[in-house]
Amino acid sequence: MKLWPWTRVPKHQTLQRNEELFSKFDQTSSINSYEFIVFDTELTGLNPRYDEIISIGAVRVRNLRIVSGENFFTYVRPNKDLPKDSTLIHRITPQQIEDAPEMNEVLPEFVDFCGKALLVGHYVALDMAFLNKALRKHMGGIMRNPCVDSMKLAQAYQEHRVRNSFGKVNIGISYNLAKLAREYDLPLFAQHDAMEDALQTAYLFLYLVRNLYEAGYYTLKDFYLAGRIGPRIF
Amino acid sequence: MAQKSQSHEADPEAVVEFLQRNLPFKELDSETLTDLARRCTIDFFPKDTLILHQDVSEVTHLYLIQRGGVKVYLTDSDGAVTLKDFRGEGGYFGALGIIRGSKANLNVETVEDTFCFLLEKEALLSLIQNNPQVAQYYLKQFSEDVVCTAYNELRSRKVKVQSQNAFYLFSLEIQDVIKRVPEIVHCSQTIQQAAARMSELAIGSVLVQDQSGDIGGIVTDKDLRAKVVAMGTGYDAPVATIMSSPLKTISAHSVCFDALLQMMNEQVHHLAVERAGEIIGVVTSHDIMVHQGTSPLYLFREIVAQRKIEGLYSLSQKVPLVVRGLIEEGAKANNITRMITVLNDHIVYRLLTLLHEEMGPEPYPFCWLMLGSEGRKEQTFKTDQDNALIYQTPAEDWEEIKTSKLYFRRFGNRAIQHLEACGYPLCKGEMMASNPKWRKPFAVWRDYFDRWISAPEPEEVLNATIFFDFRPGYGQVALGERLRDFLAAQAPKKGIFLMHLAKDCLQSRPPLTFFRNFVVEKDGKYKNRLDIKTRGLVPFVDFARLLSLKHGVRETNTLDRLQALADRDCISRELYTETREAYEFQMQLRLVHQLRMMESGQVPHNHVDPGELSELEKQTLRESFAVIGRIQAYVKDEFRVVE
Repeated sequence: MKLWPWTRVPKHQTLQRNEELFSKFDQTSSINSYEFIVFDTELTGLNPRYDEIISIGAVRVRNLRIVSGENFFTYVRPNKDLPKDSTLIHRITPQQIEDAPEMNEVLPEFVDFCGKALLVGHYVALDMAFLNKALRKHMGGIMRNPCVDSMKLAQAYQEHRVRNSFGKVNIGISYNLAKLAREYDLPLFAQHDAMEDALQTAYLFLYLVRNLYEAGYYTLKDFYLAGRIGPRIF
Repeated sequence: MAQKSQSHEADPEAVVEFLQRNLPFKELDSETLTDLARRCTIDFFPKDTLILHQDVSEVTHLYLIQRGGVKVYLTDSDGAVTLKDFRGEGGYFGALGIIRGSKANLNVETVEDTFCFLLEKEALLSLIQNNPQVAQYYLKQFSEDVVCTAYNELRSRKVKVQSQNAFYLFSLEIQDVIKRVPEIVHCSQTIQQAAARMSELAIGSVLVQDQSGDIGGIVTDKDLRAKVVAMGTGYDAPVATIMSSPLKTISAHSVCFDALLQMMNEQVHHLAVERAGEIIGVVTSHDIMVHQGTSPLYLFREIVAQRKIEGLYSLSQKVPLVVRGLIEEGAKANNITRMITVLNDHIVYRLLTLLHEEMGPEPYPFCWLMLGSEGRKEQTFKTDQDNALIYQTPAEDWEEIKTSKLYFRRFGNRAIQHLEACGYPLCKGEMMASNPKWRKPFAVWRDYFDRWISAPEPEEVLNATIFFDFRPGYGQVALGERLRDFLAAQAPKKGIFLMHLAKDCLQSRPPLTFFRNFVVEKDGKYKNRLDIKTRGLVPFVDFARLLSLKHGVRETNTLDRLQALADRDCISRELYTETREAYEFQMQLRLVHQLRMMESGQVPHNHVDPGELSELEKQTLRESFAVIGRIQAYVKDEFRVVE
């Protein structure tokens, strides 16, 4: 990027605030004192270089409870046409996103919505790659919110279960979101809808955090070390 | 707090949907619901989490169970624990504490991984204030809880709980107890004439009318004993000389308790019942005790003492009264169905004895067979007639055969009519002694069974299963026993026949997901109800019958069969115990269900509304259905059924 300084977008105010919020971040408090935003995105494809976000769904978790009155959901109108094969997965049609806001309108609101919360996603690295690419493009920076990957939490929890169960637990389970939800007998939500998937992830997140808490993981740091979670390493 | 964006806010649809499905919220309009849903948070509690701690936890939220289940229990000062209830999906807790503004009055602990919707205290309070129907819902729930708690506390203090039956004394009016219009003799009639009249009608007292036409007194059995026989009074003396006078009366609108009290005070057993200045009947202490219905013994005596078949008609209606008392005293279903069976057996026995006397001696010895649930001694209130008649094979003589056919035809037809009048509905499949097909000599019956077990057509065998549960009920019992000997010796050898029965055992799919998702009838008259008989009880009965036939067990009662099978090590102790418990629980549930229906004036059926069950009952029911899966697996294995 430094090669072509004229392409640089100045850093957005919101992102500056975001950076300040996390300049000093304490990870030694109990897990339940943090606020989380559990989110999911729907995409036109899986390659961050070419593909785009077309929908974001997010729910807030405070005091380790899902706050159902504070949801975030939006469609996003992509720059390119919506590929048909992606429509077949998430069932979002070009017509549906015709009047949707564009990414530059959505991003500041989402960053604001997240505030000082930690971000949680299932295989969150993928969502963050798309999000940060868009943030760089439109707002000249990235979000500094630490991330928690529910998939890695699930792996940590699964290891814990295997250690403590003497063989009663399935070892070769899939870490696909829907399959995990079934494995743990969680309430099920529709797949491939950003809002529903975010909610499903939130249920999974609560389930895992509470169970790991019982197993002796208290602080955020414990959780990080448990799953070596998050794209940011402290 | 982060800024919320109006445009990107999404309704918490999952919460709204949940509220829409559950009382009392489902009666609210969608705007209120959405608003309420926004104020909910969702929390997760792993299994064995103590959510509310009795007398310690401040109740800050109403908890609605989305997934999972909790147990609710009390701990008393000695640390003893009383389980109060299980609550499952759609259930709630915490409301009482919020409304009373008190700490949790019970312990609530998760028994499964549980997700709850939490509604803030303030939100619930304002909801209650603005929606009277919600307030009413909780109030009703609480009053039931409170009554229930009070009841349990009484019991835990070992104070004898006053039986529901006692309330009969305070609610039933005397005019509903008296059985007939009073018998009246004129005062000029002789003692002998009065006594003859009493004997003829099988009654214990007559009223005596004086010259002016008023009722002047009463003559009872006791008067005849004490004032006539013991004192040597002439039988020709006018009845007025021995009558008790003046007549003790009681108002027709008095309750039974008052009548009993008056009898005790005045040391009499008979009271004339007065309504608008007129004597409408006589009531005895015996009448009241019978109506009170606690003691099966009274009913026995009445049945055995009956001299006329018609007199039995009304007695069979009293069976539920007796049974009610037993259920309240905590009798197990098996004992109750046995009691019903014994009472019905006595009615049938008495009825057939009187009929037999009326018709005169039979040409050949015969035996009345009881089939189906009657044969298994598992009758409940709604019991169709299932019976048959077997008689000794007549000599090869046309005249003899004709005479016996004629006699048993009349016997069978009349018996069925009388039984119907007693309130036992006719069998829809006509498996009754009135059907010539089921009124046959021994040789024919043996051939019937031989055909069923030897060359079985699946259809025919399955239609005949109730016959394999036969039991002799009246007459020459040996005839029935010989048939049983034949069956016990032959059936174990008939592999194909047993295989058909085994396959049939596997037909019924138990509703395993009962607790989560009630498996109920989809439509029709019994929509959203669970048929506890065909879904629940029949598989147990079939299982016990199948294994008994295989192992030559002669018992017909399902629990007796299981016990016999376990004693002979045909099934494991473990399987026996869990099968027995599951079966007994379901029988109990059905009995209570049917009793409730009868008390509200409905015709009892087997379709239970799962919504009316407590969480504890649901939980137990789910476990008992799981047992059906296990016995089916056993059958599949044992008979190597390939599906």
